[in-house]
Amino acid sequence: MKNGENYSSSRRNFFKFLGATLLIVPLLDACKEKVISLLIRLSGTNHILGHKLRVKNFPKPSKQISIPYLIIGGGITGLSAARQLSKKGISEFLLVELENNLGGNSSNGENQYSKFPLGAHYLPLPNQEDKELLQFLEEEKIILGYDEKGFPKFDETQLTFSPDERLFYKNNWQEGIVPKVGNSAEEDAELLRFFSMMDDFRTKKDDFGLYWFNIPMALSSQNDAVKSLDKLTMKEWLKQQNFKSNPLLVYVDYCCRDDFGLGIEFVSAYAGIHYFAARKQNSTQDKNDNVLTWPEGNARLTHHLKKYSKGKTLQNHLVYEVKTENGKAVALVFDDKTKTSIEIIADKIIMATPQFVNQYLFKDRKELTKDFHYAPWLLATLVVSDLTDNFSFPLCWDNVAHGSKGLGYIFDQHQSLQQIQDKKVITYYFSFSSSDCGKSRRDSYKKPKEYWKSLVLEDLKISHPNIEEVTESIDIHLLGHGMISPKPEFLFGESKQKAAQSIDDKIFFAHSDLSGISIFEEAFHQGINVVNKII
Amino acid sequence: MGNKFLKFEYLLLFAVFTIATCGLVYELVAGTLASYLLGDSVKQFSFIIGVYLFSMGIGSYFSKFITKNLLNTFVEIEILVGLIGGLSSVILFLLFETAFAFQFILYLLVFITGCLVGLEIPLLMNILKDKVEFKDLVSNVFTFDYIGALLASILFPLILVPKLGIIGTSLFFGMINISIAIVLCYLLKSELKKVKLLRAKAIFSFLVLLVTFFFSENILSYSEGKLYGENIIYTNSTQYQRIVLTHNKSDYRLYLNNNLQFSSADEYRYHEALVHPAMSMAKKVDNVLVLGGGDGLAVREILKYKDVKKVTLVDLDEGMTKLFKTNQVLVDFNKNALNNSKVTVYNKDAYIWAKETKEKFDVVIIDFPDPSNYSLGKLYSLNFYSTMQQLLSPDAVVVIQTTSPYFAPKSFWCINKTVMQVFPQIDAYHAYVPSFGEWGFTIAISGFGTNFNKVNRTVDGLRFYNYQFEKFNYFSNDMISKDIKINRLDNQVLVRYFDEEWGKL
Repeated sequence: MKNGENYSSSRRNFFKFLGATLLIVPLLDACKEKVISLLIRLSGTNHILGHKLRVKNFPKPSKQISIPYLIIGGGITGLSAARQLSKKGISEFLLVELENNLGGNSSNGENQYSKFPLGAHYLPLPNQEDKELLQFLEEEKIILGYDEKGFPKFDETQLTFSPDERLFYKNNWQEGIVPKVGNSAEEDAELLRFFSMMDDFRTKKDDFGLYWFNIPMALSSQNDAVKSLDKLTMKEWLKQQNFKSNPLLVYVDYCCRDDFGLGIEFVSAYAGIHYFAARKQNSTQDKNDNVLTWPEGNARLTHHLKKYSKGKTLQNHLVYEVKTENGKAVALVFDDKTKTSIEIIADKIIMATPQFVNQYLFKDRKELTKDFHYAPWLLATLVVSDLTDNFSFPLCWDNVAHGSKGLGYIFDQHQSLQQIQDKKVITYYFSFSSSDCGKSRRDSYKKPKEYWKSLVLEDLKISHPNIEEVTESIDIHLLGHGMISPKPEFLFGESKQKAAQSIDDKIFFAHSDLSGISIFEEAFHQGINVVNKII
Repeated sequence: MGNKFLKFEYLLLFAVFTIATCGLVYELVAGTLASYLLGDSVKQFSFIIGVYLFSMGIGSYFSKFITKNLLNTFVEIEILVGLIGGLSSVILFLLFETAFAFQFILYLLVFITGCLVGLEIPLLMNILKDKVEFKDLVSNVFTFDYIGALLASILFPLILVPKLGIIGTSLFFGMINISIAIVLCYLLKSELKKVKLLRAKAIFSFLVLLVTFFFSENILSYSEGKLYGENIIYTNSTQYQRIVLTHNKSDYRLYLNNNLQFSSADEYRYHEALVHPAMSMAKKVDNVLVLGGGDGLAVREILKYKDVKKVTLVDLDEGMTKLFKTNQVLVDFNKNALNNSKVTVYNKDAYIWAKETKEKFDVVIIDFPDPSNYSLGKLYSLNFYSTMQQLLSPDAVVVIQTTSPYFAPKSFWCINKTVMQVFPQIDAYHAYVPSFGEWGFTIAISGFGTNFNKVNRTVDGLRFYNYQFEKFNYFSNDMISKDIKINRLDNQVLVRYFDEEWGKL
């Protein structure tokens, strides 16, 4: 295709095709009633085993293990704690995990065409101040070195390939997820004002030199002005600031649902702003807001962290009671494979478990936990034979439809170096944003897979009218407690602090829900910090 | 009167109904064709609807000047609408090549059809005005008119276009139009004058449309031939691309997805320029790699050097390499290069293959399609060139086809600058290939053991390249571009440059 003079004819052909497709395809489809047989599978976190905690009729421990350090929970916090223990030269520890796999929200699935995430799927470029994370990325060859100005050189193949994001807005795809093409002048002005406010928040520091918004959260300022932002919802804050245009509100609502599981109506304004202002975009020269991603999502990071606890993990093991006894920390654990229980006696226990689990493991912890809300999530991975749309902007890594109920979809093979994919694999995200997460969760467990199928397909039809005909299989993954969802007065509230307090210098708590924001960085630092506190 | 008149009235109203249906179908056909051939469907449809309605107004205006022989005129117009409307799509398809005149003819046809349809309704009302009460007349005529319009707009996308195609649809409705005229000729024998002549005209027109209808398939392929301006002698759609080979006098041209891949008249210029500089500079040429270039023409040039021991060609499209191994015309072009015992062909994705292979090469010739989309853009990324570097023996030479420095200087220098990040020695050069225009290459050496002015080996009989590299690496100001970014997987800036530059043409 060394195409000199003939390029314009190829363009013409493209338009021919475009014109014909635009006209004919949707109308053709409207009258075609095809019987579709597609494969639907439903999976989720092991809530059946988890729910045994409520009844607690486990067999008496038939075995005893003694170990200096015990980590409970094999999500990023637990794995990061294992890494930190290893870095401190401690090799005698054990990690216990309820699921069959490690990683928690950073897990993945795989089909014959691609790996795909079963939870978190990207890591934004770290802030330059976050030396620990930078070091981890360097260890894992995600950062390949530093340039003469001190900026990290990220591995090109692990940064999201361009084009990375597109938005379906006013019946066209446009580049980026901020609505741009087709706004009125006032709407544009509001977006501009909003982003300029966020830019200010991004650099804002208090009298002690602490950022108002930082990652990890623990390094953020605690002054009254900051805390006051946690007293209202994002929606109230936007109203206060006189933001009212639809493109902006829908966009911010999308961002909040995407990062916290809750829309602007329910999420704390501090959290909402944190989404925009906590990433300093200062680790590259050109203020790059790119992210690191992999076909399997953050399961790649799990894979890197996992090596530190290799041979030291017990999977399919449910911890059902934790207590201190005779100056030791004790955990009672049910082995789901052999259906027997064991007693693990440790000098110190790291509880890298979410608080909704901890309330069943300790006495009198339910009251402490009631302010912790977790939005349920749904992920659906679709294998499609083709993914046609109106060709207004090509398929990206992240594909969002403005005003959709869901969060759009990720093209899982986007990071492939290959020219052409036989089948395309996409993962659709949905968070249940409501005032009552518990109710959404209980409802979600009851719904059959057909219900989820139509929810997913109906939403995708907005931008891909023929999605149903091209879909070959759907893997639906339900996360009952998808992530901690910071409602107002939670991030700077008392419950969070109390829940983080250690017990008798034996039992220590670490989890991203204690940061209040469910992101990789928080969990990663929770793991490091808890180990640093102990040793 | 009574019954007979009732029949007369309903017959004419039925005619109104078909006119409205056919009229709208012609309008939709014109709109569809215009967006199909010219693109920008919103604009095309908008303009066509506007012109059509406007010309209907003009038709209505002129209807008042027709005072005699109303019924005859009505039938004649019916025939004319059928003929012009019916043939409109065929005319448009055939005249598509001359784009300026095309738009003119498009709107002319829409205008004429609109005028004629615009004439009919007032005419009909005039015919019926003395026979029906005005109130009923207006209400009936317009009712049928609008029902017909609705029917057309529903049938057109759902049934007509899918079943008959665009040409078929317009011809089919032309025939319906004329059939009405024929029916009227028979049923209103007594009211019409010169019935026989009228009937003959109608039947003749009908036959013209019928014959065209049966040949409409051929018209489409003829039109594709016209698009290339040459005779198509071979077409094949492989999994990845559409291959079209054309022949015109002594010139054969190969198109991939409608983009010219080579012209047999001047491809020697391109392939000599691509292959021989690198082959002559390299310290050794034992093991040569070609990425892309499934036509085997680069391999043909490589095999001219007798010290070449092994050539590996990696091309994604098996259909393409197979064709150039078996088709007699094409095998003559590449001198049977792909069947040579020194040559191994892998039909694999070059990027993936390069990541996996352990072999080292002395010369690498990269002949990928231009970076016209984000998939192809990956094959010009910093990471790709870093990957290539792993495959090179010391002092190996790499040459890359890098689009036209004249038409796309930003793209050209973007690739050059990207390659510069990886290799210690780099240069650029260009050659004039008449069928492409000014075409350029980036060349790089993986060490310092040789340089761009060394000629370590030559072959006789080249028609274009003379082993004087310094004659090719001078760039005039109109082929230079500065402040260019490096192309990375995470910015794909090259595809943006390329789109911007070729999009302007």
